[in-house]
Amino acid sequence: MQPDLRRFDVFCRIVDNFGDAGVAWRLARLLATLHRRDVTLWIDDTAPLAAIVEGVAVDADVQTVDGVRIARFDAAADAAPADAVIEAFGCGLPSRYLDAMEHRPPVWINLEYLSAEAWIEGVHGLPSRQPQRPLTRWFFFPGFTARTGGLLRERDLFARRAAFNTPRRDAGLDVSLFCYANPALPALCDAFARGGEAIRLRVADGVAAGDFARWLGRPLPAAPARVERGSLAIDVLPFVPQPIYDERLWRSDLNIVRGEDSFVRAQWAQRPFVWHIYPQRDAAHRAKLAAFLDRYLTGVPDGAAAAIRRFSEAFDDGDGAATAAAWPDLRIALPVLETHASAWARRLADLPELSTSLVEFAESRYN
Amino acid sequence: MKIAQEVRAGNVIMVGKDPMVVQKAEFSKSGRNASVVKMKLRNLLSSGGTESVYRADEKFETIQLDKKEVTYSYFADPMYVFMDAEFNQYDVEKDNMQDALPYLEDGLACELTFYEGRAIAIELPNSVVREVTYTEPAVKGDTSGKVTKPARIASGFEVAVPLFVGTGDQIEIDTRTGEYKRRV
Repeated sequence: MQPDLRRFDVFCRIVDNFGDAGVAWRLARLLATLHRRDVTLWIDDTAPLAAIVEGVAVDADVQTVDGVRIARFDAAADAAPADAVIEAFGCGLPSRYLDAMEHRPPVWINLEYLSAEAWIEGVHGLPSRQPQRPLTRWFFFPGFTARTGGLLRERDLFARRAAFNTPRRDAGLDVSLFCYANPALPALCDAFARGGEAIRLRVADGVAAGDFARWLGRPLPAAPARVERGSLAIDVLPFVPQPIYDERLWRSDLNIVRGEDSFVRAQWAQRPFVWHIYPQRDAAHRAKLAAFLDRYLTGVPDGAAAAIRRFSEAFDDGDGAATAAAWPDLRIALPVLETHASAWARRLADLPELSTSLVEFAESRYN
Repeated sequence: MKIAQEVRAGNVIMVGKDPMVVQKAEFSKSGRNASVVKMKLRNLLSSGGTESVYRADEKFETIQLDKKEVTYSYFADPMYVFMDAEFNQYDVEKDNMQDALPYLEDGLACELTFYEGRAIAIELPNSVVREVTYTEPAVKGDTSGKVTKPARIASGFEVAVPLFVGTGDQIEIDTRTGEYKRRV
C-alpha cells in the first residue's frame, strides 16, 4: 500500500484563453471532489477561469471554489511544494518552487496535450530525469486508448446527460460554434443563410469576431444578441459556466468545437461535432486531425464518414469554398453521426478516466 | 549545450552527473507547436538502460568522449585488460563488457571509450570471424540458409547458423545483432 498523497498543486498558464483554464480546472476540481485531495490551482490569469467557473473572483489573490484553492501563479514561489505537482501543458514552474522541490521531491507530472496519434502510447508515463536538477518529471498523456491517461469525466456526467430534457423545438437545426478564427466562416455562414433550412447558430461572445465582421460588414453585437440573414439566425451568447456549456452542447444538432476541453466535452455530449484543431506550424495539426478521425470514424458508414472527414479537413484548412461545398453532405449525414456519437461516448467511457489514472500513477511513484 | 531536438543517436549527454549515450532519439510534434523527444539512453557509468521523454527545448550539456584503439590481452579477475599500440594497459569492469563477452578472444581489436580517464565502454568491430566449436553435423544440399540450428563458438556463445555449417567452420557474426552473416 502506497502512502496517500494528500496535497496536489496544479499549475496553469493561460496561453489560449479558455482551453488551459478549462482543462486545469476540471482536473483540479475532480482531484478535490472525486478523490478528496487538498488541491491548489496556481493560475496566472483568473479572468478566463471566472468566465467558465461560477464563483471565481477575478481580483482575489486566494479563494476557494468547489473545494479547490485558487491562487496566483507567482505566489507559488514562496509555497512549500505539494506531494504531487501537476504542470499543465508544460507551462513551467516558478524557479524558487523548483528549488524547494529539490529538498523534498514531489511526484512531478507534466500533463501533456491530447492526441489520437499512435506514438502517444509509447511516451505516456515515461520519466524525464532533469539534466540540471535532481528531479524527475513524468509525462502523462491524455488519449483515446487504454495505454494512455484517458479523458477527464465527472462521475455523474452520463446521469446528468440522461436526465437532461432537450427542449422541444421548431423545425430547423441548432448549431453551436466555439472555434478559433477561421477564414472559412464567412463562406459557411453564406451556405447556412442560403440553404433554405432554418439554422440557429449559437456563438460564444467574441469567438471568431473578425470572421463574422467580414461576413456581416460590421462586428457582431455583444451578447446577448441575435443577427438574422436569410435562413440563418446567429445568437450571440455570453460565456457560461462549464456545466451550462455542456447543456448547450447537448441541445445542439451539431457542435463545432476547438482545442481540447470543448473537443472532449463534445464527445461526451453524444452529438455530431466538428473539431477545429489548434493550427500548428508546418501543418502538424493535419496529422493529428487525421489520426483522430481514423479512430472516431471506425465503423461509421462510408458516406457519413466521408462527409464529416471532408467538412472537417476543409474547415480546419480555412478553405471557405470547400467547407461550403461539404456542408450539404454533412447535413444529410447528421442522423447517422448522431447514432455513432452515442456509441463512441460509451466506448470512451470504458477507458481510464484521466483524474483517476493520474492519481493512481502519482501514488505508484510516491516514495 | 544542445536542446533535445538537436540530440542524435551516438551523442553523449549529461543527465545530472551521469553521462548518457543516446541510442535512439525520436521526435514527435505535440500540441500548440510544442514537441517532445523520446530517447533511449544508456548510462556510461552503470551501463543501465532507460527510456525517457523530454520537451524538445530541454537543454543538455553534451560531452565528447576520448577513444582509443586497443587489443584484448587477458582477464585478471574481475577486470578485463586491454593494451594499446604503446603497450599501455587499460582495465575494464565486467559490467561494461556485457555486449563484448561473446566475442572476446586474445588479440581482439576494438575501441575503448574513456570518461574522466576511466575506460567505461568497449566498441567492437561490426563483425568478427569465429570458429564453430560445436554444432550438429552439417546437412549437405540445403544451402538456402532458411532453416537454422545452434552453433557454439569458443566463448560458449551460440549463434543460429544454416544447416550446412559444420564444426570447425569459420563463420562471420554481426556483433550488433549476434546474427550469423556468412561462412568464411
